Amino acid sequence: MARVSVTKPSTFQQYKTLLGKDLRQEFRTREMLTSMGIYAFLVIIVYGAALALTARNLDIMRMGGGLLWVLIVFTSLLGLARSFAHEKEQGCMEGILMVPLDRSVVFLAKTTANFLFMLVVEVIAVPLFYFFFMSAEQVAPSFVWIVVPLLVGTLGMAGIGTMLSTITMNTRAKDVMLAVLFIPFIYPLLYACVTATTTAIMGTEFWIDFFVMPLVLACGYDVVMLLVCWVLYDFVVSA
Amino acid sequence: MSAVEAKHLSKVFGTRKAVDDVSFELPEGSFLSIFGPNGAGKTTLLRVLSTLARPTSGEALVAGVDVREEPDEAREHIGFISHQSMLYPDLTAEENLLLYARLYGVEDPEARVTELLDAVGLAHRKLDLVRTFSRGMTQRVSIARALVHDPDVVFLDEPYSGLDPHAVEIFDELIESVRGDRTFVMVSHDLAKGFAMCTHALVLARGRIVAFAPKAELDYDEFAGLYRDTVGMGVA
Repeated sequence: MARVSVTKPSTFQQYKTLLGKDLRQEFRTREMLTSMGIYAFLVIIVYGAALALTARNLDIMRMGGGLLWVLIVFTSLLGLARSFAHEKEQGCMEGILMVPLDRSVVFLAKTTANFLFMLVVEVIAVPLFYFFFMSAEQVAPSFVWIVVPLLVGTLGMAGIGTMLSTITMNTRAKDVMLAVLFIPFIYPLLYACVTATTTAIMGTEFWIDFFVMPLVLACGYDVVMLLVCWVLYDFVVSA
Repeated sequence: MSAVEAKHLSKVFGTRKAVDDVSFELPEGSFLSIFGPNGAGKTTLLRVLSTLARPTSGEALVAGVDVREEPDEAREHIGFISHQSMLYPDLTAEENLLLYARLYGVEDPEARVTELLDAVGLAHRKLDLVRTFSRGMTQRVSIARALVHDPDVVFLDEPYSGLDPHAVEIFDELIESVRGDRTFVMVSHDLAKGFAMCTHALVLARGRIVAFAPKAELDYDEFAGLYRDTVGMGVA
């Protein structure tokens, strides 16, 4: 065999290659999307049963944001726990780590893939949630703005979840470990996003205080956490 | 220049020394077989040399590059074949090899992948998912994966694990055909096979080198006796 010419690709090319690999695998197997989608649907059914007898006495508009985020957090947790299953199988993660690349590229590609998968599930679950619990209610015209806290919250959860999923990948009882670490880390983000989502559903005159400010804080938290994860990822995978 | 060089290399896990003051030098184009009982530190040594684990102390050079100081540059020279294929089961053989070729920055990755799949005799299965392959076929794709960037040094960590005798035969033929001027370092429990393939042999026990010599200076029977005595030392 003749000697092969190798030119180190750009970081962006490596990112695209890794992201393409994750997307191709998922759209071929649909493991994460199917399990997350079914789980989201089941949670909505459970909500339906749990709230069936009390709905008339409940202010569903005030609770809607919280319920929606419970659905999103637990559905995401299920997906994130599976996100490194392919990497662990057959030692693929070690194969990738043998390549001369900045390991934070692995984090960015995996975070992007997880973010996209979570968004796909939300695109199905949020309209279903609206249809079952809010279609009979008089939602505020600002309802469409729930897209913003959903995007900001999902991005943060994807980043933090990817990092924690890497850390717990080789631990025993990794699903429990991931949940135990994930919830405290996303709590500030969750609190801000629930506030902003509830405000968007109800509509309020205190728009700046209860929608804009929480979102600014959530965005700040996203930026800080994503940067910390990005910087620490090399250390985490090396350890 | 030596292909692989270890100078007082140590790797400690907690209080346990998995690799303890290991030093050796391997010329280019040679084939080193590393033997030793379970827990002797063979795989840890291989992981340190291949940048998958950082040494606690000492120095390791692969193709003249320090694996601790310049791991990325060292990785350009390293291929790794283990009992795990490092292949994604839900991608095809071609997709797996293209993935690695693109990550390494191989020029004309499609042509390189076609060449390698031809070399390992799996061109006709290139569009099949790796999940559908037998263990032997998977290991052949794994050889192609390890060679996709044309490395100078190839590490093999118990590559025969789980292969039937026919697959072992094919594996050996393939390794021989791609050997060229590359340097190979193999960890194996199969003394006869490892000894037959090597130009240098190393016996490790409790993280330390018990013997290291070119094969030309070794008598197989004496070496086998030494190996049996070493295995008798048990787990490190």
